[in-house]
Amino acid sequence: MPRPQRTPITFTIDGRDVIAPEGTMLADAAKVGDVEIPVFCYEPKLGAPVGACRMCLVEVEGIPKLQTACSTPVKDGMVVNTTAPKVKAAQESVLEFLLVNHPLDCPVCDKGGECPLQDISYGWGRGLSRVAEPKRHFTKPLELSPLIAIDRERCILCYRCVRFSQEVSEDHQLVFLERGADTYVGTFDSHPYVAPFSGNIIELCPVGALTSRPYRFRARPWDIEGGGTVCTLCPGQCNVTHTVRDERVLRTLSRQNDGVDDGWLCDKGRFSYQAASAAERLGSPLVRGKDGQLAPASWDDALDRAAELLRASGDAAVGLAGGRTLNEEGFLLQRLLRDQLGSPHLESRPAPGPSRELIAALNAPAAQATVPDLEYAHHVLLIDIEPVEAAPILELRLRKGARRLNTQLSVASARPSALDPRATHSIRYAPGGGEAFLKALAAALSDGDVATPAAAAGLEVDQITALAATLTAAGEDRVILYGDTLLQGAGADEAARALLRVAESLAITDGNDGSGLLGIPASTNGRGLREVGVLPDAGPGLRAVATPGRDLPGLVEGLGDGSLTGLLAVGVDPIADLQGRAAWRTALGTASVVAVSSFLTEGVAAYADVVFPQEAPAEQEGTLTHPDGRVQRARPAIRRPDGIRAGWWVLAQLAARLGDRTALHTSGMAFAEVADDVPFLAGLTLDEIGGKGVRWPETAAAANWPAAKISLDAQSEATVIPPANGLLRLARASSPWRNPEVAASPALRFLVPDANARLAPADAERLGIGEGDQVALTVDETQISVTAHLDSRVPAGTVVAQAGVPGGGADELPLGLVEVRGA
Amino acid sequence: MSAVAPHLLLDGIDEPGLNTLPVYERRGGYEVMKDALRQPQEGIIEELKQSGLRGRGGAGFPLGMKASFIPAGGMDKYLVCNADESEPGTFKDREIMQKCPHRLIEGMIIASFAVNANRGFIFIRGEYMHQADVLEAAVEEAKAAGYLGDDILGSGHNFELWVHRGAGAYICGEETGLLDSLEGKRGNPRLKPPFPANQGLYQGPTLLNNVETLSTIPVILGMGGEEYAKLGVERSSGTKLISISGHVQRPGNYEIELGMTSRDIIEGLAGGTTPGHKVKFWFPGGSSSPVLLEEDLDLPYDFDSMAKAGSMLGSGAIIVCDDTTSPVDIALKLATFYRHESCGKCTPCREGTNWTLRMMERIQAGLATPMDLDRLQSVQQQIMGNCLCVLGDAMAMPVSSLVNKFRGEFEAHLERVRASEDFMLGIDPAGSGHVETPIRALA
Repeated sequence: MPRPQRTPITFTIDGRDVIAPEGTMLADAAKVGDVEIPVFCYEPKLGAPVGACRMCLVEVEGIPKLQTACSTPVKDGMVVNTTAPKVKAAQESVLEFLLVNHPLDCPVCDKGGECPLQDISYGWGRGLSRVAEPKRHFTKPLELSPLIAIDRERCILCYRCVRFSQEVSEDHQLVFLERGADTYVGTFDSHPYVAPFSGNIIELCPVGALTSRPYRFRARPWDIEGGGTVCTLCPGQCNVTHTVRDERVLRTLSRQNDGVDDGWLCDKGRFSYQAASAAERLGSPLVRGKDGQLAPASWDDALDRAAELLRASGDAAVGLAGGRTLNEEGFLLQRLLRDQLGSPHLESRPAPGPSRELIAALNAPAAQATVPDLEYAHHVLLIDIEPVEAAPILELRLRKGARRLNTQLSVASARPSALDPRATHSIRYAPGGGEAFLKALAAALSDGDVATPAAAAGLEVDQITALAATLTAAGEDRVILYGDTLLQGAGADEAARALLRVAESLAITDGNDGSGLLGIPASTNGRGLREVGVLPDAGPGLRAVATPGRDLPGLVEGLGDGSLTGLLAVGVDPIADLQGRAAWRTALGTASVVAVSSFLTEGVAAYADVVFPQEAPAEQEGTLTHPDGRVQRARPAIRRPDGIRAGWWVLAQLAARLGDRTALHTSGMAFAEVADDVPFLAGLTLDEIGGKGVRWPETAAAANWPAAKISLDAQSEATVIPPANGLLRLARASSPWRNPEVAASPALRFLVPDANARLAPADAERLGIGEGDQVALTVDETQISVTAHLDSRVPAGTVVAQAGVPGGGADELPLGLVEVRGA
Repeated sequence: MSAVAPHLLLDGIDEPGLNTLPVYERRGGYEVMKDALRQPQEGIIEELKQSGLRGRGGAGFPLGMKASFIPAGGMDKYLVCNADESEPGTFKDREIMQKCPHRLIEGMIIASFAVNANRGFIFIRGEYMHQADVLEAAVEEAKAAGYLGDDILGSGHNFELWVHRGAGAYICGEETGLLDSLEGKRGNPRLKPPFPANQGLYQGPTLLNNVETLSTIPVILGMGGEEYAKLGVERSSGTKLISISGHVQRPGNYEIELGMTSRDIIEGLAGGTTPGHKVKFWFPGGSSSPVLLEEDLDLPYDFDSMAKAGSMLGSGAIIVCDDTTSPVDIALKLATFYRHESCGKCTPCREGTNWTLRMMERIQAGLATPMDLDRLQSVQQQIMGNCLCVLGDAMAMPVSSLVNKFRGEFEAHLERVRASEDFMLGIDPAGSGHVETPIRALA
């Protein structure tokens, strides 16, 4: 739907003529004229103003009563006075009232020095207190959650945190209890406020009432510096500012970038900075000695040994990248493999994905939707993605659009979604039925045969035609948001073609702004890694390669049978991160493995011959590409600890030892090489990318995107989901908390999910399983033990098992039919 | 003006069984509605405008004008009756709902037809349990008679009506607080604009009026707007139900023609104070109106005269205090009530009412000086005009008027308490647990 267009108007404030966009709230418009109007409850990010704190009262000519600047839109010719005696009196009054019960314990308050109440008291207050009465008292501080402390004495009841919980994250947990002067913020029955986005209320609080428990008493504002960068823990890539004291990150704050995060952060991004100083973190290179044990080694020894192993493998070496790997690292990895070792075996996806041509079609600039499009679209169709797990910040964007602009949502997936209550259509196809669902939808949109593919996906024809009708009838701005898991496995190409047919029927791939496709990769920089050439069948810029490498099953097989002998894994642990755990475990037994990793993960500890320690997110320098094509800069907020080197440097050193003659001295030089080699990034400089990133699809170089002439016709019938024969079909639930950084952050550790499986009450009854029972899930030969939960939102016939669990969970199981038995 | 007001709303109010449909209809009930449903809608609003009826809930906004603000168009529109009669001293709506619920329902059907609202709610205060039962029974009767529901009497107009019981908060009598409560939220007032006429219940245009206002609609249409406007005085037309309480011999509800002198009401209708006592001060429009004195008794009782005298007609609840009353006690009582009822959303009201109560407790206990009275007055000034809704002003206005008009008595009270034996011996005079020792030591 059309973005708001604001025409500039002229209004007068304190005698000055100011030009501001029409309809802007006075509190914001005043800033254009260098006038500050103090506010407490007003925060545009939270939606419509509530006018509760009354701090922003100003005089508007022609209106007898003072008006709240936060809720008064500017109009042409408006005359505003913020310094009249009447206004001054009102400001002093409100501040005096706010301080009636405020303890003024600024010297021991975390907020002291960066506190709006403090600043506004100094700027607009009377400077004297006339209160002789006792203040109200609460026990303090109390644990609002393991992450947040609440000091109710300091609270000025501005409503911000409650509005966030009710109207932004929509977790509906925080409420006001009691009434009047007895009001306080709390949760039902004092339950802890645990929600994926809870930490935002700390930043919203204009006083020291809500403080971060990990940050409490760690620093005062005059001790700290801010380091702006990008969170590299998920593809959401929110912009952040790290609070640094003495070369340690003590806190992470959001850095508003409306094209990416809208100024919010999830708790993972906010609190996992602790992992940088975790004891589990690797501090120096490790080399496996003759005794078979990994032992610390010098950088030279480790690099020599790694180079020696890779040289020995030569064109039988495999390069894998994932996790937090940056564009420069991915680029250098593929160059090292292709140019120095002559090996084409590269992959950056956790499972086989679509071909180079299909990737080019799916991510073409004309077909690309942006993050703000999710908010302004007429209809967003989510396929096989749970935003809060894949890229949490997108959930807030989707909720914002649905709540404030009535953006319609539809959800198609194998398991229940948190967005179901907001969805026009919620479609549950059988696990693995994504391809068949897409084929059915494509058929419904082009008057084809819907019945066959719908049946293959375990769906009714009506469900598909109803969705198709809604999509057709919705306004022209339609976005399809999908997870990479939709286009994985053997049917990836077929699924991608069907998705493109759907997109074409909806006319969202032909370059109109506000609509398109947005695919969320499995790893933070999945898109960037593909585009710099970490793919078996594509080089930098998705160029065709002479001899394509093997796909993932081929790699496992090759490593297993000895036809491939070496592995260089950057930021990825094949066992933990890639599909087919059991196969990887066996395959890696004989291969020589060089790993770049932050932690001693299972694969690294078990099979790596050389391990290079990886930088923490706050130490990384380089670029990464957001799923919507925005190239962003990660900039170091803190120095790397001694013993840790940059990832690009490690790869450049290895390349040099293997005969590369390019001298790279900085990450910037590495980026220049990327920009030189990737046609659609041509000419892009770090300066241009700056603090907010550049969407390359919007630059002139986007014309260099490899256009592929491909047929989108289906080449086979939809894969039929086989009958379950009394067994259940496995769907994996991921978790926003599955990164190793979460487990390594003491504050967040409590969020790491436990091994559980949710199943429909009817199935549970049939199988004689009760809530909370310990059950065994068996697929083929593999078995895991989990706690069963009954969940009526799970479709019958499906079991949703939790992945990302320490020591296994659903990741251990191959996708297929599960036998569920009480233990 | 005739000395005796015509009884319009209280006509036959005590007839047994008037709360049932047959008796109400026997007295001519629902005839006006049947007639109205055959008229053009604009005509009804025009009649209401001509009647000059000002809202009877407290703010006195002309009904006809409010109804004409409801936008045309096919969106969902609502009619809400404010029956959350919570203002201390006000009990007129209770009598209407209890004894003549069908007139209210008839008025609501007509109003809903006039503004094209298809859903109506009567938000009744939780404490009015009996009245809510009566209303619910009346709604059922009206439904059974075909006066509520789809296509009422073949007019094509659909109107469903629900009785919703409040949960006991004064603030839910504020129109937007009422709407939030009705939507199932915490009953907090909303920022205005948007006004309910544009975005009210569930964001739809909403006509929101008091019980008495809506009950008057059948009366107006029955006699004609022009005829109704002849009653009363300019800009305060018609009759008004007033609730008189306090130190009078015959407290209760009376229907008067607006413009009658206040003395005729208090001394005539209500019989004045007990012999030997005289009126010291009186609240003309509920506990939130600034007090008037005995010398103001000759003022005509209408909207404009009360405003000119520095007070307001409000909901028409007159509370009379004779010369045995201490203004200090009354101010403390007011502060206690409004502090308890403040919703806590906006700063000046939440903190101002609380601070005022704390100061009043000190004053009551003698732990204050005349300077504290200045501070008390200053705090009232700081509340007035700075709040989100009118609740803060509802305390600040009467408290400040009491201190203004009886400053001498407040000071004398302080002197008297401080000179008392108990005070000297350190015995808490009021037994109020709120007085803390440090302040005690200071005093």
